[in-house]
Parts: sequence; structure tokens; C-alpha cells
Amino acid sequence: MARARRPSRQMILLLAALASRPRDWHHGYDLMRETGLKSGTLYPLLMRMSEQGIVEAEWREPAQAGRPARHAYRLTATGIALARALEAPENGHSPAEVALA
Amino acid sequence: MSEALAKALMILAGRCLGEARGDWARAMQVEFEAAAPAGRRLAFALGCLIAACREMPRHHEGRLSLARHALALAGLLPMAAMLLTQAGRLGRSAYVYGVLDPAGSQNPFLAGGQLAAAPALLCLWLMLGAAHLGLAWVLLEKDWRRVFHFGAMIVAGTATLAIYSSLLFVDDGRLAVDAAATAIELMAIFSAARRHDRDPESRVPH
Repeated sequence: MARARRPSRQMILLLAALASRPRDWHHGYDLMRETGLKSGTLYPLLMRMSEQGIVEAEWREPAQAGRPARHAYRLTATGIALARALEAPENGHSPAEVALA
Repeated sequence: MSEALAKALMILAGRCLGEARGDWARAMQVEFEAAAPAGRRLAFALGCLIAACREMPRHHEGRLSLARHALALAGLLPMAAMLLTQAGRLGRSAYVYGVLDPAGSQNPFLAGGQLAAAPALLCLWLMLGAAHLGLAWVLLEKDWRRVFHFGAMIVAGTATLAIYSSLLFVDDGRLAVDAAATAIELMAIFSAARRHDRDPESRVPH
């Protein structure tokens, strides 16, 4: 049986930043500024969350022409549910239960 | 200077992530070029390198790369250094007598022949040391054809050294340790090559 683990403080910060505008795509450097996480922490977290289906990643064309496409991230339905569970843990489901669902 | 270092760190991070995480390496590179401000680029690049190193043990290609680096840095380079140091010491006459006649008996019938053989022994040790350096290099480059060539050269050199030194009544204890260490490292390389053979992206040529 998979052991339910509480998300790390860094993951909670990242989830909160992504959940602040759940429909929008977020860029890596903007997430670093919003969360205060370093690139050495942010990218492994994004990779892990992407593998777990919490975050989806996509190459997005830039707003300004002539700039390179950037990798952008947003929460999946599972990710949004996890973020909501973290905001309101009194609903009976632990964040880890939501993540494993 | 710091800009060049930051770019070098980003390239290194990309290499550490490999093909398996190529998308993430490109994502980091684009953020580095498009978003990271001038004063923060080195810190960003360093973070990316740390992230890439943390990811290496998590994927097959990264684990193989770590194994190759460990073999080269912890096995082959110290062995090459030891062989080249031995070759360097052979240039001193006192060491020649010590190696060629460890009992210190100074057998007059052997001494002349042993001293005459010292240059050939020096060449063998130098060749073995250089072959270990070459093997470390081609192992990191994943050039398996040349890995096998260097491996064969080391086996042939070690066998020649063993035969030659036994003819000269050289202290066999040290040579036996060298030969055993060479056998272990070649087995480890053979094992690494077999693991790479299972990886479709870096198949070993037959």
C-alpha cells in the first residue's frame, strides 16, 4: 500500500502559486519569483509533479514575436483538487489522499 | 567571466539531464536566456546544475553516466597515476635496484641484464599508464569500439609486463596486485558495456 506523505513546504508553496491562477500557464522564472524557490529546487519539483500528473507542461509561443517558445506549467484537475485540499484540510481528505487518488 | 561560467554550467546541466530529460534541459536553457536577469544568471545556472545532478540517479541514462564517471575517476585515473608514478621512479637508479632486486642480493650475474632491461620496463609502464588515461577518456565519450581497443591493449601490456618481469626476477607481489586491479576494472567496464548494450540509444557495436 502506498504510504501517504504530506507534501513538502516547497511543494505547498509551488501549488499555492500555481493555484492562484489555475487556468493560466506559468513560466519557470516567474514561479521562482512568486515562490522564492531556487531553480535547483523548483525544477526537480516540477518534474516530479509532472510525473505524478499534478502539473502539466507545454511549450507556449511567446507574447512578443521573435522570442523563443517557453516551457509553461499549470495544474491539472488532480493538481487543482490537491491545492484545494491543502487550502481547506477540514474537508476530510488529506492532501496526500487527493494526490494519490 | 561569470556570464561565461553561467553558460558553461547550463551546458553541463543539459548534459547531465541527457536525452531522457531533454525537454526539461531546453526549458531551463530558454528560461536562462529569456528571463533570468543579468545579476542572477550564475545563481540560476548553478541551481539548474544542482537540479540536473539530483535527477541523474533517477533515470537509466543518468545512472549509466554516473557509473562511467565513477569508473573513470575512481578506478582508471588513480591506476594511470600509479603506473606513471612507477614509471617515473624507474628513472632513478636506486629504485631500479630496489624493484629489480628486492632482496638486495645484488646478484652479479643478473644485475647487468636487469639494468639493461629497465628502459623496456619503463616503456611498458608508460604505455600502460597512457592506455589507462585513454581508456578513461573513451569510456566517458561512450566510444565503445575504442574502449575495447584500449582494454585489449591493457590486457596485452599487463601480460607482457608479467612475463617480462618474471624473466627478470622482479618483485612479483606488486605486479600481481596491479594485474588483479586491472582485471577488476576491466570486468567493471565489461559490465558497464553490457548495461549500455541494453540501452537502445547507446548500443555497443559488435
